[in-house]
Formats: sequence, C-alpha cells, structure tokens
Amino acid sequence: MHNLYSFANSVLSPASPYARDIANLFWITFWISLVILVAVSGFVIFNMIRYRDRGQGGLPPQTHGNTLVEITWTAIPFAILVVLFVLTVQTMEAVSPPRHPKGDPVNVDVIAHQWWWEFRYPDSKVTTANELHIPVGESVHITLTSVDVIHDFWVPELGRKMDAVPAHPNTLVIEASKPGVYLGTCAEYCGAGHAWMRIRVYAQTPADYQKWLAAQAKPHAPPTNIDQIVGMGFFNSSCSACHNINGSGTPGAHDVGPDLTHLADRDTLAAGVMANTPADLRKWLQDPQAVKPGVHMPNLHLTDKQINGLVAYLEEQ
Amino acid sequence: MAQKSIAASPEPADPHELPFPPLNRGWGWLAWFSTTDHKKIGVLYMVTSLFFFGVGGIEALLIRLQLAAPNARVLTPQEYDAIFTMHGTTMIFLVVMPIFIGLANFMVPLMVGARDVAFPRLNALGYWVFLLGGIVIYLALFTGSLANAGWFSYAPLSESAFSSRPGLDYWIVGLIETGVGTIGAAVNLLVTVVRYRAPGLTWWRLPLFVWMMFITSLLILFALTPLNAGLIMLLGDRILHMHFFRANAMGGSAILWQHIFWFFGHPEVYIMALPAFGIISEVIPVFSRKPIFGYKFVAGSGIAIGLLSFAVWAHHMFAVGLGVPLNAAFGATSMLIAVPTGVKIFNWSTTMFQGRLRLDTPLLFAAAFIIQFVIGGITGVMFAAVPLDWALTDSYFVVAHFHYVLFGGSMFALWAGMYYWFPKLTGRMMDNRMGKWHFWLAVVGFNMTFFVQHILGIMGMARRTYTYPDLPGYFALNLISTIGAFILAAAVLVFLWNLVWSFRHGEVAGDNPWDAWTLEWATTSPPPEHNFDRLPPVRSARPLFDLAHPDIADHVPSPAEGHA
Amino acid sequence: MTTGTAPTTGTTMNRHKIGMLFFIGSEIFFFLTLLSSYAYLSGAFGNMPRTNLAVPRTFIFSLFLFSSSLTIWFAERSFHARRYGAYRLWMLLTIALGLTFLTGQGIEYTELIRHGVTLNYDVFASAFFTLTGFHGLHVITGLIMLGTLTGMSFAGKLGPENESAVASLAYYWHFVDAVWVAVFSVAYLIFV
Repeated sequence: MHNLYSFANSVLSPASPYARDIANLFWITFWISLVILVAVSGFVIFNMIRYRDRGQGGLPPQTHGNTLVEITWTAIPFAILVVLFVLTVQTMEAVSPPRHPKGDPVNVDVIAHQWWWEFRYPDSKVTTANELHIPVGESVHITLTSVDVIHDFWVPELGRKMDAVPAHPNTLVIEASKPGVYLGTCAEYCGAGHAWMRIRVYAQTPADYQKWLAAQAKPHAPPTNIDQIVGMGFFNSSCSACHNINGSGTPGAHDVGPDLTHLADRDTLAAGVMANTPADLRKWLQDPQAVKPGVHMPNLHLTDKQINGLVAYLEEQ
Repeated sequence: MAQKSIAASPEPADPHELPFPPLNRGWGWLAWFSTTDHKKIGVLYMVTSLFFFGVGGIEALLIRLQLAAPNARVLTPQEYDAIFTMHGTTMIFLVVMPIFIGLANFMVPLMVGARDVAFPRLNALGYWVFLLGGIVIYLALFTGSLANAGWFSYAPLSESAFSSRPGLDYWIVGLIETGVGTIGAAVNLLVTVVRYRAPGLTWWRLPLFVWMMFITSLLILFALTPLNAGLIMLLGDRILHMHFFRANAMGGSAILWQHIFWFFGHPEVYIMALPAFGIISEVIPVFSRKPIFGYKFVAGSGIAIGLLSFAVWAHHMFAVGLGVPLNAAFGATSMLIAVPTGVKIFNWSTTMFQGRLRLDTPLLFAAAFIIQFVIGGITGVMFAAVPLDWALTDSYFVVAHFHYVLFGGSMFALWAGMYYWFPKLTGRMMDNRMGKWHFWLAVVGFNMTFFVQHILGIMGMARRTYTYPDLPGYFALNLISTIGAFILAAAVLVFLWNLVWSFRHGEVAGDNPWDAWTLEWATTSPPPEHNFDRLPPVRSARPLFDLAHPDIADHVPSPAEGHA
Repeated sequence: MTTGTAPTTGTTMNRHKIGMLFFIGSEIFFFLTLLSSYAYLSGAFGNMPRTNLAVPRTFIFSLFLFSSSLTIWFAERSFHARRYGAYRLWMLLTIALGLTFLTGQGIEYTELIRHGVTLNYDVFASAFFTLTGFHGLHVITGLIMLGTLTGMSFAGKLGPENESAVASLAYYWHFVDAVWVAVFSVAYLIFV
C-alpha cells in the first residue's frame, strides 16, 4: 500500500516552497482537529457505554447546565481559532506573489480555453500549449485569464490553485524545488471537457530550460519528404483556421486551438489525454470526438493521405 | 389542573376564518389535494421529498458508477454533467429543504400548542408551488437537455453562449418557483411561532426544534430572495440577452454571479443544518432522560450562527482572486462561525453525560450525527484557513466535506427525527430491528463512500470531473467509494421499507411512547384535526415532565406569574 | 387553575400585519441584491447614465410617489375613525399619485429606448431597467391592492374587521416608497 506521500499530485507531497507552506499549515490544523475529534467522539461513545440504561429505573440527575463550562468551551476554541487565523494570514502572504518581486522572475501568461491551456512566455515570444516548462528553483509568475468560461489552474505539488476568470486576470506564483514532471488539472467545472484539461509542468535545470526555450523559439522544421509537404500544405489550407505553427508559411489562428509548433517535443496530446505517438495522433485526427467528446474540434473526416501527411509533418523534430 | 381550552391560541377566533369545508376532511384523494391542514401539508412535503430523494439517489449511484473506474464510459460527458447538476439541485432544493419544512409544518404548531399554522391556505399554496417548481426543473427532460452547468450554475458557463440548450431555463424558472413556495412556508412558520404559542409558552420555553426552525425561517426569508434576484438576472442574460454576468467587454461580471449566489448559498447550508440541530436537541435529551445541557446557549448559538451565516459567503470564492484583505476577512468570519457550532456539539455530548441512555434508533442516529458532523465541521475549518482552501477547494476534499455535514449530518439527524416522530405522525412505532440494520448499513455505507474522498482530494482529484487519469490509488479509492454508495443505497431501501411496513404493522404507539416532554406528545398519535383537546399547563420547556414529576419540575416562574 | 399568563408580543400586531412585515423583510433583501449589483457593475458603465437619465424630471415624479405615502397615511387615519368616504377619497388620491409616478417611469423608459438604449443594449441598460423595472412591478402590485380595497369599500364590504388588511397594505406601500428612495439615490444620484 502506497503512503500518501508517494502518490502523484498530492497536496501533501510538496515540491515547492509554496506548496510546503500550505502542507505545513495542513498538518498543524490536522493534528489539532484530530485531538478534538478523538475527544468528542470518545466522549460520546464513552457516554453511550457508561451511561446506558440498565433497567435500574428512576431518573438521572436533571442537570440543566453550567455557565462556567459554557464559557470555557467557547473561549478555548475561540483562542485556538485566533492562533489558526494568524497562521493562515502568514501563509497567505507567503504563498502569494510578492509585492516587490526580487530578481528576474520567469513570467508566463496562462490563458485557459475550453479545454486546453495556452502558455505564453512574453519575454521570449514563445507560445505553447498544455505542457509548461519552468526552471527549477526560480519563482514563476503566472498571469492567469480565460477566453471563455471560468477554469482553474491547479498543480498541487507546486502551489495553490487559482481561477482563470474571463475579464478578470489573476496572478499566481509557483516554483519547483527539484526537477521532475508535475501533474495538474483544471479545477473549475468548465463544460464537457473539464475532465480532460490536464496540465503537465516540466521543471528543468536552468540550463535545460534555456535550451528548451531556445528550441521553442525557432520555427517548426521545414518539410523534408513528400508526406510532410502534403501535411504542411493541408495544415496551411485547413488547420490554420484554428491552429498556428511558426514556420509553416501561413500565420494561423492563436485563440481557437492550441499552438502546434514543435508538437513532437510534447509528451502528450489533447491536454494530457493521450500519449504523443504517431498512432495516438492518428487516432485523434480520425475522430477527435471519440477521444474527447464535446471537444470544439470537429471530426473533419480526413482521408488517410491527409492524416499520414499531418502526422508526418507534426511529428517531425 | 389543566383548563379545557378549545382554541389553543391567544388570539380571539377570527369570524372570517373559514371552517374546514367537508371536502377537506378525511383521507381521500380530494382531501389531500384540497387540504389546508398543516399536518397533511407536512406529510405532502415529506412524501414528495422522499420521492425526490430516490431520484437524487439514483443520480448519485449513476455518478459513482461512472467514476468506479478510470476512463469509464457508463455515461456520456454531457449526460454525466447533467446528472451531477441535477443530483445537487435535487438533494438541496427538492429533498433536504422541503423535508425539513414538511417536518416543521407538522411539528411546530403541535409543539407550540397551536391549532394550525398562521395562514393555512398560504401553507397549501406554498406546497403546490414548490411541487410545481420541482416538476418544471425536471420538465427539461422533454427538451432533451437537463440543466448541466452545476448546481451553482457559474457564469459564463451558464450563459447561453456556452449552454445553449433550454434545460437551464427550466432549471432557473423551477428554482424561482420552489423559492417562492419556500418563502411562503417560512413566513407561515415565523408568524405561527410569534402569535400562536400556547399560554405560558414564552420564548425561553420553546422547544429547541422550534427555535431552530424559527431561525431557519428567517434565513430563508433573507437568503432566497437574493437567489431569486440572481436567477432573474441570469434568465435575463440568457433569453433577453442582457449583460449581467457575461464577462466580456460589455462590462458584465462572472464574479458578480458568484457573490449573489453564495450570499444565498451559504445561509442555504445553514437552512439545511439548523433544523438538524433542532432535531438533535430534541432527541438527545429525551433518550438521555435529562434536559438539554445549556438550553439558552444552544438557542443563542443558533442565533449567532444565523447572523454569521450572512457574513461568510465569499469563502466559497477564495480561489477566484478577490485579493488578500477580502480573503482574510471572510476567513476570519468563517472560522468564527465554528465557535457557536462547537458550543452546540459540546452541549449535546454533555447532555448524554450522566444520563440514562436508551439506545434506541433515534439516539443511535443522533450519536452518529455528532461524530460525523464534527468531521465535516473540522474539514470546514480547514477550508476557512484560506491557503488550505487554495489547495483543496474544487477537489474531492470539498465533496467529502459537504457530504459529511449534509448527509452524515443533516440526513442522519433527519433519520433520528423520523424514527422519533413517526409514532406521532402515524400512531405506530417504526420497527427497531430494521432500524438497527438501517443504522449500521448507513454508517458503514456513508463513511465508506465519503471518507476516502478526502484522500482523493488531497491526491489531486478535481471535482465534477467525468472521469480521472489512471494515477496510483485513484482507481482503488474511487471503487471503494462506489461500493460504499451501493451499501448506503441498501440502507435507504431498508429505511423506506421500514416506513412502509411500520405504517401498516408497526406496534401501536399511544400518545407518548418515548415518555417525552414537549407539547406534541400531549395529544393522540396521530393528533386529531384540531390538534389538542386540552393543553397541559406550560411553566417550563418540559411541560409533560413537570406534570409527571411535580416535585422536581423544571418550573421557572416567569416575572408575570405569582406563585404557581 | 389557569395555565399562567398568556404571552404577548407587546404590540397590537396581528398575524396579518406581522406576516406582511416578514414578507417585506424578504423583499428588502431582493432589492438589496439588485441595488448592490447595480453598484458593483457601475464601474463598467462608462458615460451612459449621466447623459441619458433625466434626473430633475424623475425627481419631480418621485415627489408624487413620496406624497402618496402621506395620502395613504391619511386614508388609514380616516379608516380608523370610520370616515369611510374620506378613506375612499384618500385612497383614490394615492392611486392617482402612484399612477403619475408610473407615467414618469414610462416617459423615462420611452426616451431611453428611443435613444437606442434598450434592455439588452449594454450592462448599464440591463441593470437600470431591471432595478427600476422590478420596483415598478412592485408599484403596480401595490396599485392593484389599493384598487381592490378601494373597490371593496365602495361596495360597502370594507369595515372595521378589515383593519389589518388596511394596515398591512399601508406597510407595503410605505415599503415601496422607501425602496424608491434607495433606487433613486443609487441609480440617479450616486452611481452615475
């Protein structure tokens, strides 16, 4: 049996100073609560055993109350809650974006869509989707918004969750303490695809991160074989109505479907729902609705030739 | 000696008051449809609520079936979304609220020694409007689109741009109707308690169930109309293309919807909890054979909870981005509201201390209520600690929290009340053996279903998700939860069967089978149409106790009395 | 022998009056919601309201509504004194004043709509029409009740036993008036 700490995604397996502060507050509250629960439950069960009617007849003492006792059990919980409140405010400050950020934080614009995540690095002009890369050990300041309904960005091991509200940008800060892949999900019901709006955060060493960023900033490689030429052509004529690939020759739409530049570098497709393999991509292209019912990408009834071309073009390095 | 009193009301008989027409009498279909008798109306409310409980329960089982395994396809996502929306809507608006209103309808006039509620015809109207509302909500089935934006219907998802099918419109209209019916019931209860108390029944001698229903009715009065205002505005957005909650350049605000909804929504959860507190405050003393410990503190903490319940709503919005000052303020008030709730818990437990406990079914449910409500209350305090909310809201941790307070709490209290008052309603006792089976199946089933959900939430499983990834532990815990749900369903079936069987074959109860002390037990079971042939003297909160034990009576002389 | 002194509420309030007061309590929260929503959304109003709302004219029409509270008070006093002729006169005056107020609202609405500011034009229009519209609906409901009681009086069917109906309606009418004070302040004076 795994313990709670070894599960993926756990709020109690923090991989971030922010998540650690939250987990600490949880444990303090938990232990206080456990004591209270054991005391009250114990008292109730004790009463039920010790004072059960054994047929002895008569009435027990008809105690009406005791004001001193009442004051005591009002004052003590109040005092505990005051302490808890102070800890709460301290933790709130600690895990929120600092008023005066020090150094050069990494800035990311996170834009939520039904049902995928757009990630923009404004300082590097990189746009990608669903898989967020960040450098280890540095604060990442996220500006969070939505183009349609309310979503919520939640990566439990890296920090708090925050709603992505249309017309109401929010800011949030996360940080990874060690390299790894951290899983998250949309945490505000947003329609049919809510269950498939997953987040993957790749925390890399600063050097690896810079390498990744540089590679993303380059345009998508030009086609080198006939399949890829067919794919690029079809992409430009049809797919660019909703998707963009830098270097495909035709500027595509940015706010309908995810940016597909360097799609091959991603581990998953469709916001973390499928692995990114040619076979899976083929399945998606054949019928997106079968994989993610309700997704805004219709079944385009592509021919095999078109699918082969697209798979070749999209999966090239 | 008690004086024979024909009218148990301090008001003179109203010459314009219509006598009950002959149609109204008896037990035929016409009598039930045309009744203005609070007892029949109470039964109508309760039976209707039990029907919707079945509907909501089936919806719950469908949810659990879909979630039993990762990537299951028992339902389509759109069906699932409609089902969890309707599950929440049904349980809250069509089950818990009306069943407490029904119980109060039956019991409150009896408990204050009145002949009926203040406005019997309004009472009947309220029930039928409520029923109509419930039907309208489900009428959407015929459009092929039940409401599916969640029971709190956040904008802009609930706007026509994102929910274009008409089901949501039916939901809005139906809820406005049930709201109107509920407000009518609340006004009735309030005026009844203010004006129709028996001679000698001062405020500090009222049964605690009456106290809690009084406070609940005030909450209904002040919380349901904001909801109606918000619903009207949402309907305006959807069908008249207004701009209240459409968060775009036109200036509408999605967050405004949340403020309005939760200004209603938080008092709403206390509307569902305070009656439960009232029931527990009746059951535990009777089955411990001693008075409630700290009567005034239990009543007073109810008032405190009622007032505070209007000051905490934004704790449902901590993740929306309101800013640190607002979050901190609402965090403080949300922690504060735990104090009066704790006071009640301690008073109930201490009532049992040094009592003579009859471990009958009502007391078993009451004891389980205390423990389960404390668990729910604890996780509630965790949510009041804002950063913990930031971690755990919108996850299965909050699903666990509210089911612990609403099911492990309110539903278990309701069961305690039903086993306690069934004899008064029907004249027969509920079967004890089936009651024990019901109890243990419910305890096992409930905790199995919902305890593991705390863990799932901590492990990052979001709520209202159609399915979940096959991460370690998710499948096992969800499966346990699903199995628990079916055990809980079995408990409910036992309960329903007990109701039906006991109605026909239960042991005859008599006036006061539990040797209880409040006025409803001073008449036959079931009571006659006019409720009371005569009222006992009321000189304390336990009139029947005083009558049976005059040497150790509770009698506390009020200033207006001389010697007894 | 007796069962002790009966509890009193310390007032002459009977169930109808108390019921009406509780109902008014719930309606207060209805309007508080609409008012605070108006205030909340007003940040996004832009220049709309100031240029389109006729503040002085609406104020004049408001005076008609405010004076109707006075006339209904006189009506009540006449009723208590059993001067039913006077009662009917004051009631008719109240109705006339209420109708005049509604006419003013109608003129306001017509002008807005003629300028293209319809219900769904923008967030100001949505909020304005909803807030004032629901107040207007409450005025109309009050007028219907006023007409009913006046009619009953003309038919000789309103007597001292109906005192609680007369009083409850007066509470309701004063409430509708007070709400207008709030609505006018919020929509015409403060959040513009």
